[in-house]
Amino acid sequence: MDRVKIFKLILWIVTGLGLSAAIARFAFGLGVTTNLSDTTPWGFWIGFDVVSGVALAAGGFVITATVYIMRKEEFHPIVKPAVLTAFLGYIAVIVGLLFDLGLPWNIWHPVVQWQHHSALFEVAWCVMLYTTVLALEFSPVPLEETSRYAKIRSFLMRYRLVFVILGIMLSTLHQSSLGSLFLIMPFKLHPLWYTPILPIMFFISAIALGLMMVTFESLFTSWLYRRKAETPLLAKLGKAAVWVIAIYALVRFIDLGARGALGYIFAGSFESIMFIVEASMVIIIPLILLSIPRTRHSLKGLWAASLLVVLGIVFNRINVAGLMMTSATGSHYVPSLSEILISASVVSAAVLAFLFAVEHFKVWERKPIDPEAKVEKLPEFDRASNTWLGRPEVAARIKYSLAFVLAVAVGLMFWPFDRLESRGIQDTPVVKARGGEKLIINGNRNFDLVLFKHKMHEDTLGGKESCVKCHHMNIPGDKESGCWQCHADMNKYTDAFRHDWHASPSGGNLGCVKCHEPDQPKMALTASECNECHKDLIPPGAAIKVEDYTAPGYVDAMHGSCVECHKEKAAALDKPKLPQCTTCHDQEVSDSINQAIAAKHEGRKSPWVTMPEIEEN
Amino acid sequence: MKAILTDITKCIGCFKCVKACKETYDLPGDYPRRWTQNDGLSALNWTSIVIKPDDHFIRKQCRHCIEPACVSVCPVGALKKTKEGPVIYDNDKCMGCRYCMMACPYGIPRYDWDQRIPYIRKCIMCYDRIKNGQQPACTAACPEEATIFGERDELIAIARQRILDNPGKYYQDKIWGEHEVGGTCVLYLSDIDLSFLSYDRKLDNEPLPHTTEAAMKAVPPVFAGMGAAMIGLHWVIGRRMKREQENKPKGGSE
Ligand code: SF4
Ligand code: SF4
Repeated sequence: MDRVKIFKLILWIVTGLGLSAAIARFAFGLGVTTNLSDTTPWGFWIGFDVVSGVALAAGGFVITATVYIMRKEEFHPIVKPAVLTAFLGYIAVIVGLLFDLGLPWNIWHPVVQWQHHSALFEVAWCVMLYTTVLALEFSPVPLEETSRYAKIRSFLMRYRLVFVILGIMLSTLHQSSLGSLFLIMPFKLHPLWYTPILPIMFFISAIALGLMMVTFESLFTSWLYRRKAETPLLAKLGKAAVWVIAIYALVRFIDLGARGALGYIFAGSFESIMFIVEASMVIIIPLILLSIPRTRHSLKGLWAASLLVVLGIVFNRINVAGLMMTSATGSHYVPSLSEILISASVVSAAVLAFLFAVEHFKVWERKPIDPEAKVEKLPEFDRASNTWLGRPEVAARIKYSLAFVLAVAVGLMFWPFDRLESRGIQDTPVVKARGGEKLIINGNRNFDLVLFKHKMHEDTLGGKESCVKCHHMNIPGDKESGCWQCHADMNKYTDAFRHDWHASPSGGNLGCVKCHEPDQPKMALTASECNECHKDLIPPGAAIKVEDYTAPGYVDAMHGSCVECHKEKAAALDKPKLPQCTTCHDQEVSDSINQAIAAKHEGRKSPWVTMPEIEEN
Repeated sequence: MKAILTDITKCIGCFKCVKACKETYDLPGDYPRRWTQNDGLSALNWTSIVIKPDDHFIRKQCRHCIEPACVSVCPVGALKKTKEGPVIYDNDKCMGCRYCMMACPYGIPRYDWDQRIPYIRKCIMCYDRIKNGQQPACTAACPEEATIFGERDELIAIARQRILDNPGKYYQDKIWGEHEVGGTCVLYLSDIDLSFLSYDRKLDNEPLPHTTEAAMKAVPPVFAGMGAAMIGLHWVIGRRMKREQENKPKGGSE
């Protein structure tokens, strides 16, 4: 198969996979499909799709400025592809943003609700306007295909200079304003990146990126369509880039020096390593590569330099947009699969649109030979054999659509939809009933396995009819009841008495019969009293007299052992209301507790507890 | 401007303020999720108690900054600083960009991550109650008067008085929130260092919106300047090229 076809096939598959992720994103919300969190509200989508995306599309304004303002006519052949890339880039930014916004249907709100003090508001407006301007700048190209729109086309051509200048003005603003977005976060962003001149930094690096992105794109498409690369022209771009990168480096380091942040480079921290990586990708290696004429004029040198700068500045944007805030926020964010897939699919779709445009309109001086149209000469219908041959060009499209649909389907298939429910319900596979005499079960859900007398439980609970008592099987995602759901008094975490601690090998390491009568139901009633072991459980002079005691509940223990302490603390800390019941309990609750205790006393021969006397003021 | 003063030395950690908030806004129970932070705040908990060693209970909530970063960055005006003091939020205006979460120095706004239609959630200082002349539910619920409500100036005076009455009791004799980021409407008195409440250990007194202001002010002149420069450049270069053409010897181009 041809290079182009394979490449397109891959793009279609990625787009399809991304679409399945996008479906999940909108069906289940951001929380479960992304790794964004309250600590990391902005992640890969903002860092890559939006902040880097806009920068990657900077080629449009840089090249139009070169050709129409500086009047360097020699660069004319790369104007149209640059404008096209910019246009598609901005569309991709907007689409990418739609996934990131929590309420994407409100994306138009900045149009009517003006907030001139917000940098994001300004970016929103500029992106909106500039996308329109780019559409106007590019539309003469497709309009060229038919003569029907000649009038519109000539109108657009006549005012091209206006659009170009408008485009440059708007680009200057929002390329820099993307940097202003982060000015408000001096407390989060690492000092190697945070600077009050962040907007200027973003603008200069956007120019460098624009030049190198155009270079990269030209190299890549020449490789893809086996055209001759425009090396001399690209070498000139490279030379210009040297100047821009040099200025960028100068400003960057002077700024670091002026703020006294140079020391951080050698701090040996995560940030300093990232800074060194970034600086070598954006500044050091490309500067060396591009300032040597021989490498600048070689294909390999151009490839390396452009790739480095493109990746390096994307890295810079991602650093500023979040990665370098992690040590302040303590976040451990790594983009989730769906975040990466959606971003990749937005890029793939944009590249597909780009390829479509260059194959069908005169973006280049000569359209590439369409690999899919090569066999078009064959008749669609073979009269001799009375058979329909089909349009050969369609055949490739069928492959693409098949790949796309399959990718969506496969993507959807592998989405763990059941596990995505944010309530965290786990799937419960139906297993063959084991039943039997004794089972080893994880009855307390703590992976301390216990020997469970299944037969005995079945018998005491009422034979086969009683299965539902533990295996209710009617609540979605439910499991068989845990031990504590019947033996309710054994494992209450609110209890002062920690049954699981007493039972666990690393805790009290007591066998059941240590406290419970053998061959008796295991419950609080059959347990021996605490003070049989803990002779000194109830402190002398405690407010509560505990008689006939089983395991104390929280309330009892609280009042038995804690109220005294509360009184002491109240005096020591000068917090007078600390020992009063109504401080923690509402009046009704206090009343109901009193009633419950009173009721308990009724049924007993000897009073359980005597309530403490606490004076209310 | 209305404000809240929380005295950490008085708080007994009874969680009544938290409970009152939950009841007032009908917030269902919450449990730690992947996207929540361990300070107890979430879209379902607008105030929380952070427990620090030695019986220190710190009530965390929105600080209702006097010049709030969140309000200044919101591109659609969904967050608003009211003249009464509270910073409030409008569901219908928000577009979910989460810039406010990024900009808040205290990391206060939280997101409904598990909802298909998610909103920003944070303390709104019971704006409706304040407008009706009541005090917020949390301060009303506090049994110890550890967190109290009132006019900001009066609360600062009270805090000053407490510091004067108890020399050496309060950490650095500081009223937390009096000056940081231009002052906040939720003030703290504490016997321990409270700087962990913000991302930056040493918050500036400069209000955060000022960091962006210069850049935003530069927008119109840059826009106009760039336009003028481009037109000028185009014209100058055009004229120079024309002149070069004319200056060329006549026969040269033939
Ligand atoms: S604390 Fe944060 S959320 Fe609250 S007003 Fe200040 S900036 Fe806004
Ligand atoms: S998430 Fe909503 S409230 Fe926050 S800045 Fe964006 S639009 Fe404004």
